[in-house]
Amino acid sequence: MFLINCPYCGVRDQSEFVSGGEAHIARPKQPTELNDDQWAEYLFMRKNIKGIQFERWNHVHGCRKWFNVARDTSNDKIEKIYKMGEQPPKI
Amino acid sequence: MDNINTAIKDKREYSDLNLKEVEPITKINLRGKKREFFTKVGQVLSVILPTESNTSTSNQELSALWLSPDEWMIYTNTMNKEIFDRVFKEISSLNYGAVTNVSDQWVCINISGDKLYELLSMSCPFDFSKFKVTKGSTTQTIINHIDVIIHNLGDNNINLFVRRSFSNHLWDWLNDGANLL
Ligand SMILES: [Zn+2]
Repeated sequence: MFLINCPYCGVRDQSEFVSGGEAHIARPKQPTELNDDQWAEYLFMRKNIKGIQFERWNHVHGCRKWFNVARDTSNDKIEKIYKMGEQPPKI
Repeated sequence: MDNINTAIKDKREYSDLNLKEVEPITKINLRGKKREFFTKVGQVLSVILPTESNTSTSNQELSALWLSPDEWMIYTNTMNKEIFDRVFKEISSLNYGAVTNVSDQWVCINISGDKLYELLSMSCPFDFSKFKVTKGSTTQTIINHIDVIIHNLGDNNINLFVRRSFSNHLWDWLNDGANLL
């Protein structure tokens, strides 16, 4: 368990949030032109790295807003929190 | 329109805690971002919506609670049906924002007494230390895994809003907890 600093509500317990998986995955502009392998790549394949990972989180039991988190998956340390639409920080 | 049925039909008193359902209360959910939205709300309800997170504003008739940067809840026990119709007509119908009557969705429980925050903290991850000394502060959080909206009325007195289908379960949990304190 860890604390997350919601960019709208402030510091809250992790249990108020849900994780929305890896961030910055763009939906292909023309899905019909992809073959099954390429579509599967977009749909299912995630980096799942040990280290700093960029993720989407939703404050589902609070303001219900989405935002991005740069989290170290090895120790749950949050390096940076930034809003949807913003570029991932250089870490 | 309003069917504001009571959900709990009970009232309990303990040595340092009092719990009761507050009804009937009209509750209106407001969503909007445009400048005209804020102007219209001010004109129709005579209240300035709070833009600072976890705060509220009030006038003699109603309270406006901050829920998110573009969402608020208004509640009142004095206003009548006409006020909702007016807000709806002047904001929602003109596409300035969204107006939803949530009177029957949320049940309001008033809890007061010295052991109030001890009771809530039995199963709530929220840090009440700043909240409890700030009259008018609000928060959305979870108590015993149930979503709630809390409005601090000051002096260990809160209005707690819980969705109707969870209200009896939370009521039982609160009374179980009160018995243990
Ligand atoms: Zn939030």
